[in-house]
Amino acid sequence: MNSVGEACTELKREYDQCFNRWFAEKFLKGESSGDPCGQLFKRYQICVQKAIKEKDIPIEGLEFMGPNKGKTENSS
Amino acid sequence: HPWEMVTTAAMQKYPNPMNPSVVGVDVLDRHVDMSGKLHSHRLLSTEWGIPSIVKSLIGTCRTKTYVQEHSVVDPVKKIMELKSSNISFTNLVSVDERLVYKPHPHEPDKTILTQEAIISVKGVSLSSYLEGLMANTISSNANKGREALEWVINRLNAEIEEFTASARGTMRNSMAAAAFVEK
Repeated sequence: MNSVGEACTELKREYDQCFNRWFAEKFLKGESSGDPCGQLFKRYQICVQKAIKEKDIPIEGLEFMGPNKGKTENSS
Repeated sequence: HPWEMVTTAAMQKYPNPMNPSVVGVDVLDRHVDMSGKLHSHRLLSTEWGIPSIVKSLIGTCRTKTYVQEHSVVDPVKKIMELKSSNISFTNLVSVDERLVYKPHPHEPDKTILTQEAIISVKGVSLSSYLEGLMANTISSNANKGREALEWVINRLNAEIEEFTASARGTMRNSMAAAAFVEK
C-alpha cells in the first residue's frame, strides 16, 4: 500500500512491518510496554507531515504526536 | 474468525481487491493511552469515479478524496472501534462511519461487527437523492468490508504457512548438515 506522499512509501513499509509484528505478537497478547518501532515511526512521520503540507490536505485538530504520547502528567 | 485475527487483519486491511479505490494509507499518530488502549489516527486516500452530478456541483476535476480514521483497540476488553469521516468535500457532504469488532459472546472463535453510518448532505435540494445514493453504496460496502477482511485473513494465514514451511525446510537442512558434520 502506498503512502500519500510517494517518497514516504518505503519508510511506511518498514514501519508497517515493524508495527504489524508488534501488534500481533505483543500488544494483543497483553505486552504493550516497549516500543520497538519508535525510530521508524519518527522518520516516517517527518516525511508524511511534509507531504500533507505540500498537498494541502485538510487535516484539522490532529496533532502530530510521537509514539510515546499518552503519558500525560497529572498534577494534583 | 477469532477477534485477534480480525483485529490484526483490520489493521492491515488495505490494499485488498474489494476496495480498489483506496490508494494510500498513512498513520498520522499512534499511541497507547494510560489505560493500555492503542489509538491510531490514519489518513486514507481514495480515488474513485466521481458521479457526474457531484462534478457539476463542485465544478473541479479533483479525483483524490481523503478520509480520516481513528481506531481504538482494547486488548483486555477485546474491543476494536473504528470511526472514520471524510475530510474532503466536507462543505457538501459528511459521511461518518463507526465500526465495532467484539468477540462473539457465545462462540469464542467468531467476531461480531456492528457498523453504522451517518450521512448528511448540506444545503442542496438534491440532498435526498445524494443521501439515497450514498446509503446504497455504504450498505453494499458493509458486505465488501467483510469480504475484504476475509481476503486479508487468508493472505495472513498463507504467509504464516509459507513461513512455517520454509522454517521447517531450513531446520531440516541444518539438521542434515549437523548430522553430516558429526560423522
